[in-house]
Amino acid sequence: MKFNRFWTATAAAGLLISGLMFTGPATAEETTIKIGNIIPLSGPSASVGQQGKNAREMAVEEINAGGGIKSLGGAKLEMLYADSESKPEKGVSEAERMINTEKVNVLTGCWNSAVTYPTTAVAERYGVPFIVPVSVSDKITEQGFKNVFRIAAKDSWWTRDQFAFLKDMQAEFNTPVKKLAFVYENGDWGKGMASQWKKLAEKDGYEVVMDEPYPSTATDLSPVVQKIRRSRADVLLLVSNAADAILLTNTLAEYKVRLKAIVATGGGHADPFFIKAVGKNAQYLFDIVEWEADINKPGAKETNAKYKAKYGYNLTGEAVDAYLSMYVIKDALERAASFDKDAIRKALAETNLTSGAGMIVGYDAVEFDESGQNSHASPVIVQINDMGNGLERITVWPKSARRAGYTPVFPKP
Amino acid sequence: MIYLIEDTINGILMGSIYGLTALGLTIIFGVLKVVNFAHGTLLMVGMYVAYWTVVLSGLHPYLSLVVVVPVMYVFGYYLQDIVIKPIFKAEKDVREPSTVIIVTTGVWYVLDNLTLMIFGPQYRSLPENPLQGKMIEFGELFISVPKLWGAITAVATAFGVYYFFQKTRTGRAIRACSLDRDAASLSGINQYKIYNMAFGLGSAVTGIAAVTLVPFYNTFPSVGVLFDIKGFIIVVLGGLGSIPGAIIGGIIVGIIESVGPQFMTATWTEAIVYGLFLLVLFVKPSGLFGVKYDW
Repeated sequence: MKFNRFWTATAAAGLLISGLMFTGPATAEETTIKIGNIIPLSGPSASVGQQGKNAREMAVEEINAGGGIKSLGGAKLEMLYADSESKPEKGVSEAERMINTEKVNVLTGCWNSAVTYPTTAVAERYGVPFIVPVSVSDKITEQGFKNVFRIAAKDSWWTRDQFAFLKDMQAEFNTPVKKLAFVYENGDWGKGMASQWKKLAEKDGYEVVMDEPYPSTATDLSPVVQKIRRSRADVLLLVSNAADAILLTNTLAEYKVRLKAIVATGGGHADPFFIKAVGKNAQYLFDIVEWEADINKPGAKETNAKYKAKYGYNLTGEAVDAYLSMYVIKDALERAASFDKDAIRKALAETNLTSGAGMIVGYDAVEFDESGQNSHASPVIVQINDMGNGLERITVWPKSARRAGYTPVFPKP
Repeated sequence: MIYLIEDTINGILMGSIYGLTALGLTIIFGVLKVVNFAHGTLLMVGMYVAYWTVVLSGLHPYLSLVVVVPVMYVFGYYLQDIVIKPIFKAEKDVREPSTVIIVTTGVWYVLDNLTLMIFGPQYRSLPENPLQGKMIEFGELFISVPKLWGAITAVATAFGVYYFFQKTRTGRAIRACSLDRDAASLSGINQYKIYNMAFGLGSAVTGIAAVTLVPFYNTFPSVGVLFDIKGFIIVVLGGLGSIPGAIIGGIIVGIIESVGPQFMTATWTEAIVYGLFLLVLFVKPSGLFGVKYDW
């Protein structure tokens, strides 16, 4: 027993020494660009953290195999990972360590808005560029920071795009929409979305005929559905968790509620088991999401196939944003032609990325505004329909990303 | 006006089904004098048994009762015999052994997570069946067929259980045991066996409730939690241990939930149900149909 412990200690010391010896000369020569990634790799959000990690690795492999950063003499990207465990304090301390000990050139992360928000402050203090692939909370880019750049759309843009979508559909199909009904789960998320809907409805001149929260734990939603039926709304906007999304969809079908369209807000309606549980009752439903695998963008299908072959499942919104962020970093480094963090920051601020392997998102460019928000970012809207292979989610909006050969069904027959 | 009728009918139907889900709880409480925290979990187990019976056999959902009732009876019987009985024996001087609450909570966690491990988090709904999504329509008035079946089953089950307790020898033995377990033992009743049977009966009734839910509700590992709290409220409202109390308590909750949202938001009706629960506890702690004596 004692003997074993002695050998373990010796081995550990040996590893530590050899580790120190390796890191020493490497930093002096600066042949790699160090990218620190703070993401949840354990804890409640570990599965999305892992999706992002996989996508980052795939992008970096591609970049390094393609000759690295040419303006820096073919310098390679080196990835460092820290587990945030979805804890804000962990994110902050890991950012300190990444910057001070590991001397990273760029930071990315942290998926959970609650972690990203305090962690970006650390990066700002040290002047290290921080790329936020996904973290939707509006306030992250509203702190007046110079070093924070967000790729994904922010919270308030989801509702904005739902209304933009409604407007576009009315024009495209020449079907006016006048009355809206809002039905949402009775939590922070649902109430937050609904308060934004209210403002947007007023601005666009819609009549709100119903504005009703319901408890997500409800075991019978027919009273709520009755109310929707009697409101004679044209379009129903929903925010639901999984069990209630299923119950609502089935009950709406049973009571034959006539609507021109139902527009959901991800969450329960995007649950992988949703379509299976409700079957044909889900047909023609619209849902807003970050990204969908069928998106009509060059290279999207191939990239998704490659990712699926490597990791066994489709790319997700989280993964695509992480993947794209590596190409945004590569693009900035090429233009900066420097290891200096201020030069990298300046290049990032001047980003106008419109092509390349990373551009498989629903929008057409990455360009950062004053606050560091990608001003082109937008989620996509899908419609659930059957094109001969059973019910599936089909990208319909923005029109440039619509699946080839598909015409959305609006109004609902 | 027609809407009010429609909502009231929906409330009565849904409420009867709520009452049925609470009936098993009230039977177990009435006899064992313990609050069974694993009640929602029993309902979940019943739903999985019903779901798989229908999926594998392709039968009408209500024919799955032939399988669900015996399976749930045996399940409840041995759950009591193996897990809960030792606590009763250890605390036999206590009238209402509180450790049992902790044990049933343990059963709840273990079974819910076991189900999650075995079946995954999927929301399962029955494949096409004669009840699914069927509606009786009178112009604007809609009545859900699966709920109507559920309500009829609820009332029939309540009568059946009541008859069993009043008229059969075993039923009388169970009642005797619930009145005074020591006196019953002295008269030659094996009280632990009676407890097993009561727990089995409560589980079987919960299984019937599960069968009524499966045609229009989804089966998933945490489904019990949604009906659990409602079950407790109904049982307290109707009177702990009272069989008609469970059904009528259920109908009261159902009507509040169904008619309420037409005058306020659905979130408020939930608050009203909880408020009523507190009010009953203040004014008549024994519930609407509770009696001073047990049974």
